[in-house]
Amino acid sequence: MNPYLPAFAWQSHAVLARHVRVHLRNWYTATLPPVCEPLIMLLAFGVGLGRQIGTLTWGGAPLDYMHYLAPGILAYTAFMSSFFQSLFGAYIRMHFQKSWEGQLTTMVRLEHVVWGEALWAATLATAYAVVVCLVLGAFGLAGQLTLHWAWLPVAIPLLFLAALSFSAIGLYFTAIIPSIDHMSLPFFLVIMPIGFASSTYFPLPDVPWLMTVSQFNPLHHLSEGMRGLLLHGQPTWHLAASAGLCVLMLLLLVPLDLRLLRKRVFGDG
Amino acid sequence: MVGKVRAELELRAPINSDVIHQAFHLTSIASRPKIHSQFMADETKPRNGGEILLAATGLVKSLGGNRVGEGIDLTWHAGEVLGLLGPNGAGKTTTLRMCYGFLRPDAGQVRIAGHDLAKDGDAARRALGVCTQDDTFDSEFTVRGNLVQTGRYYRPRQEDLLPRIDALIERFGLGPFANQKPETLSGGFKRRLMIARAVVHRPRVVFLDEPTTGLDPQARVAVWELINSLRAEGMAVVLTTHYMDEAERLSDRLQVLQAGKVRAAGLSQAVLGDVVGEHVVLLSAETPEAAKVIEWFKARGAKPAQILADWHVALNAPGLAAFVAAFPELRYEVRPPTLDDLFLALASEEKR
Repeated sequence: MNPYLPAFAWQSHAVLARHVRVHLRNWYTATLPPVCEPLIMLLAFGVGLGRQIGTLTWGGAPLDYMHYLAPGILAYTAFMSSFFQSLFGAYIRMHFQKSWEGQLTTMVRLEHVVWGEALWAATLATAYAVVVCLVLGAFGLAGQLTLHWAWLPVAIPLLFLAALSFSAIGLYFTAIIPSIDHMSLPFFLVIMPIGFASSTYFPLPDVPWLMTVSQFNPLHHLSEGMRGLLLHGQPTWHLAASAGLCVLMLLLLVPLDLRLLRKRVFGDG
Repeated sequence: MVGKVRAELELRAPINSDVIHQAFHLTSIASRPKIHSQFMADETKPRNGGEILLAATGLVKSLGGNRVGEGIDLTWHAGEVLGLLGPNGAGKTTTLRMCYGFLRPDAGQVRIAGHDLAKDGDAARRALGVCTQDDTFDSEFTVRGNLVQTGRYYRPRQEDLLPRIDALIERFGLGPFANQKPETLSGGFKRRLMIARAVVHRPRVVFLDEPTTGLDPQARVAVWELINSLRAEGMAVVLTTHYMDEAERLSDRLQVLQAGKVRAAGLSQAVLGDVVGEHVVLLSAETPEAAKVIEWFKARGAKPAQILADWHVALNAPGLAAFVAAFPELRYEVRPPTLDDLFLALASEEKR
């Protein structure tokens, strides 16, 4: 069976719709993180730390820290929201709420549940990114940021693709962690290394091995690509590199996730 | 006395050295006449005109290197309840999970209402409903919301889904709790909700995996009535349970699994006769002659089992006759076997 076709099946979309429905009922609390997090980051780091840093060099030209930070926050939101939802959210639904098992007793099969979770994580992360854009827009109106908003229609689908691939990493850990007490492992093994080696919040130091490693980090390319788009209005090779790495992750991880989750949920595989 | 037993046995079969032991034997499959064989032959044809809705043939499954299903066959008809029994680890849940699509059999085929579960999965799943052993409702939704949400997981969509849900809520007595979260319900009402959810899309086959476990007697009876009503609607119901009275009351027929195989199948009494024997002798362990009597049974291949203060020994008719003749002055009780005896017999076989 093709592991990617269920992404387009109505059952996966029914699972996605269930998550959207639940989320929208609590929209007032659900909207707090995407609004507050960039707001705090921009105020604390962009305004606060930015005054200490002043300008830094990016792409051979000086750039104030607030402008450096803004596209990085956008990329990090897509990464973090998707990973968090596909790890914590999916694990709780699978293990504690048993809502997966309830869905699986219907016309929904495991591949639909898994794709529903991945699509939901990507949709939520993209929605959060849009909210972040609104916050950035407010900073723009206040004269703190100048961004090329016309490139947003290019940025949003890329953020969705990246979030979808990050959700595949989250689901991988959902499949393999022995218990919720082990949730710190993926944070230390994945989120922190990918987050710090990604030039989201600060430029990477000129260390050869780190520069080499970062070439395989989709978040690094996503951050740099978003900067090129939103700061200069120029699509760069980083966007293509990010998209390529994300597609590669999906190709490798989705079949693995399905196999491991089948074993976890049904004890079969 | 042995001579008398021989004389009786000569009427049934030619005597060989094992025949007398066989007359007392508790559960030997090879030695016992296949009481259910006639029924098994009939299984391929609809009974009472009922359409065959579940046909599982040759199901084989290994999990974690263990063979948990070895060529299991199940055939079930509209308007009947099948009791699927067996001790823990016999393969009941695995069999059920293969039948409703949780597990892919290594070999064999499952057809639900004529649809091959492997090749025509959507149509087969549309025709089946499942009430799992654990409560698996969606805790984010109310009782009504759970039924609505479950209805959304089926295509084609039911045009009358909402009226259907209202009717189910009323029929299952869930009206006062319709707008509450499921976790606020008592155990009995949670089970009602689970069964209501399993039938929200009007399935033709319903799997109920231990639907009354942990319920008080009143709640159990309420669930029994619901199961009876599903049968009356013409659904084929497959029920697993550890409560033997429940299996006897609800099931039209029984299928007993042991070590991943069908051990016996058929009407309740036929299954008991096949696996246990025709009679069970109860002898107080405090009877002065108890030790001597037990030795006598053991010498003839019977397997007495002590449960609290009584010895239980399953016998067929010649065995009982021999026992009566051997101990004419002894005080004991003889009763027909129950499904509890069946479980003990299976457990005894597994120990051996």
